[in-house]
Amino acid sequence: MPRVTIQLPSVLTAIVGDIREVVVEGDSVSGCLEALFVVHPELRLHVFDESGSFRQHVLCFHNDTNTRWTDGMQQETQDGDVITLMQAVSGG
Amino acid sequence: MSTLAIVGTVKGGFLLRSDDRRHWDVEGPLFKGWKVTAAERTAAGDYLVATASDVYGPSLHRSRDLSQWQQVEGSPAYAEGSDRKLNQVWRLFTAGDTFYAGVDEAGLFRSVDGGETWQPVTALNDHRTREAWFPGAGGLCAHGLLVDPQNPQRIWCGISAVGVFRSDDGGDTWHAKNDGVQVIIEDEKHKDIGFCVHGLVADPDDANRIWRQDHTGMYRTYDGGEQWERIESGLSSRFGFPIAIDPKTLALFAVPLESDEYRSPVDGSLAVYRSTDHGDSWQRTQEGLPQQHFYAGVLRAALATDAQDPCGVYFGTTSGTVHVSANAGESWDTLPVTLPRVLSVSVFDE
Repeated sequence: MPRVTIQLPSVLTAIVGDIREVVVEGDSVSGCLEALFVVHPELRLHVFDESGSFRQHVLCFHNDTNTRWTDGMQQETQDGDVITLMQAVSGG
Repeated sequence: MSTLAIVGTVKGGFLLRSDDRRHWDVEGPLFKGWKVTAAERTAAGDYLVATASDVYGPSLHRSRDLSQWQQVEGSPAYAEGSDRKLNQVWRLFTAGDTFYAGVDEAGLFRSVDGGETWQPVTALNDHRTREAWFPGAGGLCAHGLLVDPQNPQRIWCGISAVGVFRSDDGGDTWHAKNDGVQVIIEDEKHKDIGFCVHGLVADPDDANRIWRQDHTGMYRTYDGGEQWERIESGLSSRFGFPIAIDPKTLALFAVPLESDEYRSPVDGSLAVYRSTDHGDSWQRTQEGLPQQHFYAGVLRAALATDAQDPCGVYFGTTSGTVHVSANAGESWDTLPVTLPRVLSVSVFDE
């Protein structure tokens, strides 16, 4: 199973004890996030809303690709991939 | 006795501690970057704090020492697949061993295990009038919670732009209780809602005696909400958000604001109004408060009292100032802090 690094936004790190990165095993973006939620179940409600989709202003990048632009959650992962959760920043 | 005030802001929580209610130590921010919307203490002595984020949603956190915090895994939440979103916990209320949480989108949740897990109070959340509930300027929020200490089966819940509901059977059935209150958004079908409650307090020894800061004015009831009457003599404005009560003397405290269009102190002069005759009349208290060029508001959860003698009164403003009276409003101190917009003030005697 590929080992994938998940990077967390700074606001969420306080929820999980100031951890910025979590290494999980998973063969898809979805599988990696589910593995993250096994280690840190408290993160699920901050990432997904009641519909089970990403919260409106949460972005998920698989390496350099926004998962909303691709087949997203089902995208296969490779050893050494990075998934980055971040806050959508817009306006000023 | 020492006093702890948890001041919740849009960018974190701040702890204010004092042994004399004159000199304060300030710690924080807790939950930096998160809204801190409510706080409460469990019967076992743990603190529960509600946080929210426009990006990452709401959750509850527990601590014994106010230093190490753990997110409550069973935080209030609508079921996955629900068309309702839980945006924020507006109020935490403890009644014996039972906790209640009033939330936006409007709903009530209950915990019987010290806040570890929460269940929706579906008879209210799915009330027959629900189809006509619409958000006010502050959202569609359930925020006003009261429980009869002598009969915990009797529960009141206030929902902005909807009204006050009462249950006499522990939450199994709910009835709107707003007779005598001016309607603000009349529904074509459901004539018993459309009332915009902003704040509720009750006599701790007689839960039938309730005072209500409403969008349309100040009211009281002596029969648990069956009939409300206006009590506005002496107020500078009938509009405002919070109301608080001295649990020993039953003195009432409110912060009138200039109409729903402007929502700032009348004439830019900050004042707390106090009633010592159960609302028959109100007197202005202002000594120590800014008396000119002050245009910040006070939100519904940002005014609190302690249970000491004389009563301490505490409030924060939308411009981040914090004001304390150690003598039931006779005079006020402005603390030397400028915090983010203050959302909530919760006070605990330690």
